[in-house]
Amino acid sequence: MGLLTPLALAGLVAVGLPVWLHLLRKHKTTPLPFASLMFFERRTQSSIKHRRLQYLLLLALRAAVIALLAFAFARPFLHSRLAALAGGPKLTVLAIDNSFSMRDGDRLARAKREAADVASKLRDQDKLQVLAFGSQVHVMGDSAAAIQTIQPTDTRSSYAELSRALRSIAQSSRLPVEAHLFSDMQKSSLPANFADLRLGESVRLIAHPVADRRAANFAVESVNAPRRVYGSGKARVEATIAGYGTDQVKRRVSLVLNGREIDSKTVDVPAGGRAAAEFLPADLPFGLNRGEVRIDSGDNLPDDDRFYFSVERAEARRVLFVHEGRNQRDALYFRTALEAAAESAYALDAVPVEQSGNLDLHKYAFVVLSDVGSLPASFETALRDYVRAGGSLLVALGRESALRNRVPVFDEAVVEPRYYGRDGALFQSAAWLDAGHPSIHNAQRWDDVKFYQAVRVNPGAARIAARLGDDTPLLLDKQIGEGRALVFASTFDNISNDFPLHASFVPFIEHTANYLARQEEGPSNYLVGSYLELRQAKQQGAAVEVLDPKGERALTLDEAARAQNMPLTMAGFYDVKRPNGRHELVAVNADRHESDLDMISADTLALWQNTAQGPQNANSGGDAEAPKTMEFWWYVLIAVLALSIAESLLGNHHLTVDQATE
Amino acid sequence: MLQRFLDPATLASISGLDLVAKTVVDGFIAGLHRSPDYGFSQEFAEYRAYTPGDDLRRVDWNVFARSERLYIKRYRGETNTQLLILLDASASMSYGSHAVNKLDYARFLAASLCYLAHAQRDAAGLIVFDENVQNYVAPSARQGQLFRLLHAIEKAQPGTRTDFAKPFVHFLDFTRRRGLVVVISDYYERPDVIVKTVEPLRFRGNEVILFHVLDPQEIAPKFSAPVLLTDMETSGTLEVSPEYARGEYRHRIDAHIQALRDQAKGAGLDYFLMDTGRPLDEGLREYLGVRQGRM
Repeated sequence: MGLLTPLALAGLVAVGLPVWLHLLRKHKTTPLPFASLMFFERRTQSSIKHRRLQYLLLLALRAAVIALLAFAFARPFLHSRLAALAGGPKLTVLAIDNSFSMRDGDRLARAKREAADVASKLRDQDKLQVLAFGSQVHVMGDSAAAIQTIQPTDTRSSYAELSRALRSIAQSSRLPVEAHLFSDMQKSSLPANFADLRLGESVRLIAHPVADRRAANFAVESVNAPRRVYGSGKARVEATIAGYGTDQVKRRVSLVLNGREIDSKTVDVPAGGRAAAEFLPADLPFGLNRGEVRIDSGDNLPDDDRFYFSVERAEARRVLFVHEGRNQRDALYFRTALEAAAESAYALDAVPVEQSGNLDLHKYAFVVLSDVGSLPASFETALRDYVRAGGSLLVALGRESALRNRVPVFDEAVVEPRYYGRDGALFQSAAWLDAGHPSIHNAQRWDDVKFYQAVRVNPGAARIAARLGDDTPLLLDKQIGEGRALVFASTFDNISNDFPLHASFVPFIEHTANYLARQEEGPSNYLVGSYLELRQAKQQGAAVEVLDPKGERALTLDEAARAQNMPLTMAGFYDVKRPNGRHELVAVNADRHESDLDMISADTLALWQNTAQGPQNANSGGDAEAPKTMEFWWYVLIAVLALSIAESLLGNHHLTVDQATE
Repeated sequence: MLQRFLDPATLASISGLDLVAKTVVDGFIAGLHRSPDYGFSQEFAEYRAYTPGDDLRRVDWNVFARSERLYIKRYRGETNTQLLILLDASASMSYGSHAVNKLDYARFLAASLCYLAHAQRDAAGLIVFDENVQNYVAPSARQGQLFRLLHAIEKAQPGTRTDFAKPFVHFLDFTRRRGLVVVISDYYERPDVIVKTVEPLRFRGNEVILFHVLDPQEIAPKFSAPVLLTDMETSGTLEVSPEYARGEYRHRIDAHIQALRDQAKGAGLDYFLMDTGRPLDEGLREYLGVRQGRM
């Protein structure tokens, strides 16, 4: 207990006032004459002592009122731990781990059984709250019946998240919290920073381990497979088999595609180690394929013995490359870079500008105008419509295009061509790159690329992604209608620059092609708990349809129309139909940290429990929680009020007596 | 002085009562007081059949002449009576919890009775006593007797404690003639002692009436807290709790009143409790009503 304003205790001096009134000031008693005392007895003498006692009671009441008033103004408080020790009501939190690892044997059933046992022993004055936690904490209810509603999930358990929830509950409830943790106590559930486990001062953590020992467990730890395979390309599937607490043993690994086992191998898994298995399925069908790598482990946790992945076989997407008829070099360099990078994802159709009049542009993923002078009017009109409807265009500017006043489709003025050899500078380098632009993202540095010629274009409303040393915009990006146009202020022909000869050219072309073709290269599988992006901001209103692994709709109608992303909560395959009509298959797997069933040591557990008692961890940073105190001055004031009423009644009684005697 | 004692309302109330129908006193004032004895007088009372031994002088011969039956005539006797008031002026009589203390109330009562007797041409006397005889006015019906009596009543002051036995010895000497003896006191003495002391007055053919004057606070004390009481006669002090006053004391005073009432009745004495909280005329009227009922 403590006092926030101890100076107010100086008011205790006022207790002397009633003492003076009662003890130091002489009371005079006036005898009351009566006709005869014939019918009275001497034994009534004790009544005066009783009256004196009543006076002493009045004195005590008055002194108590003043003392408590001073005490209330001193703002006393109790540490919530003391309040708990006082035997008052408390909040009992039953936190039940329902993460993926609790599927091992009967761990979850045992946890629920022990939780129900604890709930049955609660006192009437105690409150109950049932939590289920994995990667997130869910409040299941405030009755013991809520325990039975907890179901196993595929999420990864997080003790840091549980500690954060307990701190929040302790702060909001104003009651001492007794948290019972029913978990398999996985070491892998501990956070990287121990300070994240910090409990509130009024939280008492009681652990109920539901795993008696470390269990050996095999798991398919990861699968590395391409998300898409184009044309006749082969998909290489690499799987890693991990053993946790296991002896050296051979395990059979099989590859399953669309429910049919394609291939199998036997690998030698070292004791507590990992082994790799590689598959090259030859007959991967076109379209979306449900892939799965399985092992025959024979352990108590069979759910981590399979690993889902999705792979799609698709035709290569076509790219229209329009160039001047006499210049073949730029098409050569561009095609080479594209084929080298994108694993035959794109097929380049190089067309001289003279033959571009009657082309159907909508079958192309994007169009490249490589230093073209004049365009056929019909082609330019078709190109403009194509871009506005959502198509993409890459324009490379060189000597031919510098003769035009405006960049076609991009509709910005050509300011001047810059020939750096004539200016005495010999060449320019890329002085500034916007790393946030998809074309340049993760690209190698362009420092040693020499630009001899460039065409300065008025950027207008376009985004500048790269600049040369003389501040000439090198790469401009502009949204036109639903589509986009990119302007590269030089050429791809190894004449205006030596960019095609550098290693950074290939990733630039690859990223630019993917950016223009809107080709998102996501992973072939996700972890439970991660988020899947459903749409971009401009696609608001178009519905996304998602079927979860159970075949049920994962989104409500409102979410389907508005949600930007959704959490992936269970292992399996999600069917996603995006607003643009594309159909995707998203493979989701439980976090393999859950497969390591190694338990927290007793010392670590004791340290965790002691975070509620000792001083806060010095490494916890600036968000250290202040010691929780419970002020009770209002209770003292209520007591003052009650004592004042009693004092008034008793004092009034004495006043009546005095008047009667007078 | 006269106005102080003879409150017009009280006097009118007493005069309006039919004293003839309510009292059984030995003597009468003509037209008002009538003797319960049948005697030789002018007022016819009834006829009664003659029986051997009756005085032949009382036979109504006119009736015999008409009916040949012997009847004798009976007449109501008419006589004067003597009223003697014994007024207790002990210290305890000065107690009062309101405007009128017991002694004042007893004075009003005695004065009313004296005036009443004077109006009836009865002889009235007064003895004021505490443990001794303070004052004595011999019974008389002479002119100026009323003023002497009222003067003596006015002079009565609270004295010392009451001792019934000591003054009552002398009272017997003062009552040579049959009459009405009224004793006004608060009777703080054992009932048997009171009755034993007063009873000899009855033996001489007197009608004795005991007026027990008590304050409401004496009958039912209302103390809200313990109090220190001082005895007005002995000056002794006692601390009394309200619980005792409400319980045990009331039980005792009620038992005292009841014992006095019973023993007085047993000795042929009339007893009436006068609560000083009640109007004087009401008390008298109630007493006279009781007397009427007894007839």
